[in-house]
This record gives sequence, structure tokens and C-alpha cells, in this order.
Amino acid sequence: MAATRALTICDTYDRFVKGKKVDEAEWDYTIIPQNATELKKKYKLDFGKTFIPEDNKTKNDLFQAGLEMLVNTGFYNMDLKKVMKVTEEEVWEGIKKTPTKLILGEGRDIARFYPRHGNSPVKPIIQGGPTGSPISEDVFVQVMQSYAQEGVVDDLVNGVMTTIEGHPAKAGTPYEIRATMAELRATREARERAGRPGLGV
Amino acid sequence: MVHAGHRVTDAHECSQLNELKMDMTGLNMLAGWTVNGDTIMVEQMPIFGGYCGGLEETAICDVATTLASFALFSGNFHLDGPIHIRWGTTTNRESLQIAAHAAAAVDANTDLLLANQYYPMAGPCTEMCLIETACQAICDTGSGRELLSGSAAAKGVVQDKTTGMEARAMGEAALTAAGMKVSDLNEIIEKLVSGYETRYNDAPAGKRFQECYDVKTVKPTEEYLQVYDNAMQQLRDAGLPIKH
Repeated sequence: MAATRALTICDTYDRFVKGKKVDEAEWDYTIIPQNATELKKKYKLDFGKTFIPEDNKTKNDLFQAGLEMLVNTGFYNMDLKKVMKVTEEEVWEGIKKTPTKLILGEGRDIARFYPRHGNSPVKPIIQGGPTGSPISEDVFVQVMQSYAQEGVVDDLVNGVMTTIEGHPAKAGTPYEIRATMAELRATREARERAGRPGLGV
Repeated sequence: MVHAGHRVTDAHECSQLNELKMDMTGLNMLAGWTVNGDTIMVEQMPIFGGYCGGLEETAICDVATTLASFALFSGNFHLDGPIHIRWGTTTNRESLQIAAHAAAAVDANTDLLLANQYYPMAGPCTEMCLIETACQAICDTGSGRELLSGSAAAKGVVQDKTTGMEARAMGEAALTAAGMKVSDLNEIIEKLVSGYETRYNDAPAGKRFQECYDVKTVKPTEEYLQVYDNAMQQLRDAGLPIKH
């Protein structure tokens, strides 16, 4: 049956609320591994030693298996302990609704984020940064500048500032928020020092 | 008044949880960002050897969670990162296979924007770290990904052990690999992985940012530049014609 529309975040939440209650251990140790194994068998998937697949059958079979995994298994909400379901048609509506072109950053420093497809000669966007690694407060600007100043870098990704004004940036405390805001200020300073103030983050 | 927060064109990150899970914190953040028109990146790092199981099963879950990022959570792009339960890296053989297969599968069937993140084992200022990073960049580029994010050297867990030089290696490898024959890239990846995967038990720890750069001028040390040149030569020897 055709989908009514692509799911919004509130649609997803409502599906979780109305979903079936499932024990988390059953989800982790039974439902996920069993369903994944069944789909591997159904589509006879065997990657062998191949890194990047070149045959369309493997690519299409894996895509179909992943789609079925999502539709047949659903998704688990850890707080509600419930499972939501989504139809294949709704997945495709969500895909159709997703923008296929994005702009990261501002002004002359933007990165154009467009589909490449296969091994296109177009270079992927290089998002440089510590990717969540712990970084000392006193060198945070310099670490981020070391990425922003690289010509091959098109966009930035933050590290995690370990302290804020000497206090540990402990999760779930006001210091976590203060540290996050300090990361953003420091990254802005790093972009400006590198002469690329518009770089996306 | 100038605010320090994210711009609409910066990526707002929400993480899924392992495997095929979300929590209310994530949903609540997404609710605000979608209304605000922010750029949304949804992340998920499937664990090879974890709840999913083996190679193909983890790739199936990888595709499922990639699609969920868009269909359930209104993401604009998906950040992957298959991680090895034993090694905690994304540059190992199995993680590369999973990431490449999942990306190629989604790429062949949609126009969705796909990213991957980098957690090599070795630390900065080592040839192994740069080659691990470059190897994954070749794999991600060849399998059709649109954005490479990294690199969190030393598995992203040691304070101050990441620098811009690793991103330079990632970018130059991607720039060179883009447009090359996939069969050639597969051969290069095999040579590179075979070279570093025997060293996981004694991988070089590398150096902190403060030892890799002059902190005042933010210029890499001569030692690191030499290490970089050596690594690039090893990539050329493996068949990747890096120019600079």
C-alpha cells in the first residue's frame, strides 16, 4: 500500500509509543542476530576477500537485505523499551524527501555536498578534525587550526574539549554545555586564524 | 550580538545506538533541528563481532541503519563507521569490507549522501597511522562515499593524539583514488592492509599534538614531514600515484 507520507520525527515517536514492548536483551541477543543471519542466508551474501564490490548483484542484494532488515525488524527505543515499525513504502518516501544536495559552511569557504556515485572522479568532501577525540583546553584552537589550514580540507569536525576553565567537562552537567560552547568558539577562532572563516563544522 | 552556536549550514549530529536503537534524547534534538531547518547528520557505528555477528550480517545492519537515518530520523546525511569489536578501529580489514559494501549498496540504489569516519590504530607522527588513514580513504572513495570525516588517530581515545597531518593524508589519498579503476583500488587496499594488520599488537603509539607541531606557529615538525613523505612513498609503491 502507498505511504501516507514520509515519517516526521513526531510520527516516529508516535510509532514508538504505540509499538510492542520488547525486552532489550531479547532485542540485542536474539532478534538482531537472528534476523541478520536469516537475511544473509536468504540473499546468499558472501563477501569473500573483496573490499569494494564490483558486481551489481552483490550491491543490490545487500541493499534489499538491509531494507528488509529495517522493515521486518523495526527500530528499538531504549527509553520506552518499545519497537516501532515502518513500511518499505515509507522508507522510500523518506529517501525521496531527503535533499540530495547540501551546502556546508558559508561564503567563499562552502563545500558542495552532492552525490558522487561509484568511483566518480570528483573528490569526496574532506571533513578534517579529531572526530570526537579528547583534546586539551589549552591547545584546542591550535589543534583545530592544524586541520583548517590544510588545503585539502573542505569542512571541519570537532574534538571534545576535556575541561572548561579547568573543570572536567563531565557529561550531564552544566560544564558539558559550557565546554561544548567553548569548542564552537575555539573552532571559530581556528577557522579565522587559518583564513577560512566560513568553513563548515 | 554574536552567538557561538552552530549555523544552519553546520552539521548537527545525532547518534543512533547499537544496533537499530534510538533514545529519547536523540529524538528530542532531532525535533528541534528539523523545525529550525538545520543540516542534520545521523551517525551509527555498527560493531563487527557484536550483536549483529559476522561480516555480511554487520553490513546488512549497516544498510538498515543508514536507511533509518533518513526514513525515521530526518537526517540529511549519514555518518557511518563500522568498528571492530576486538581492535576498536575502522581501518581493519573487516571494517573496510563492511563499510565499502554498505556504501556501494546504498550508492547503487539511491542518491543519499554518505559519510564515513576514521579511527586508525596507530598514533600521529607514524607511517602506520598515515597509511591506515589513506587506506580507508581509498576504500571510502572507491565505494562512492561523498564525505570522509577524520581522523581520530590512536583509536580516538588518547588525549591530544590527533593532528591536521592525518587529514592531509586522508585527503590526498582520496583525491588520487577518485576516478581510478575499482579493481586497481582493491589491489592497493589489499597490499596496504596486509602490511599493517600484522602490527596490531605492537602498533606505534605515536606522539601528542604538542610534539608534532610548533604550538605557537601551528607548523608541523620536520620529523613529522619526513614521516609523511615516507608514508606517501609507500602509497606510491603500492600503486597509488600520489603527486605531492
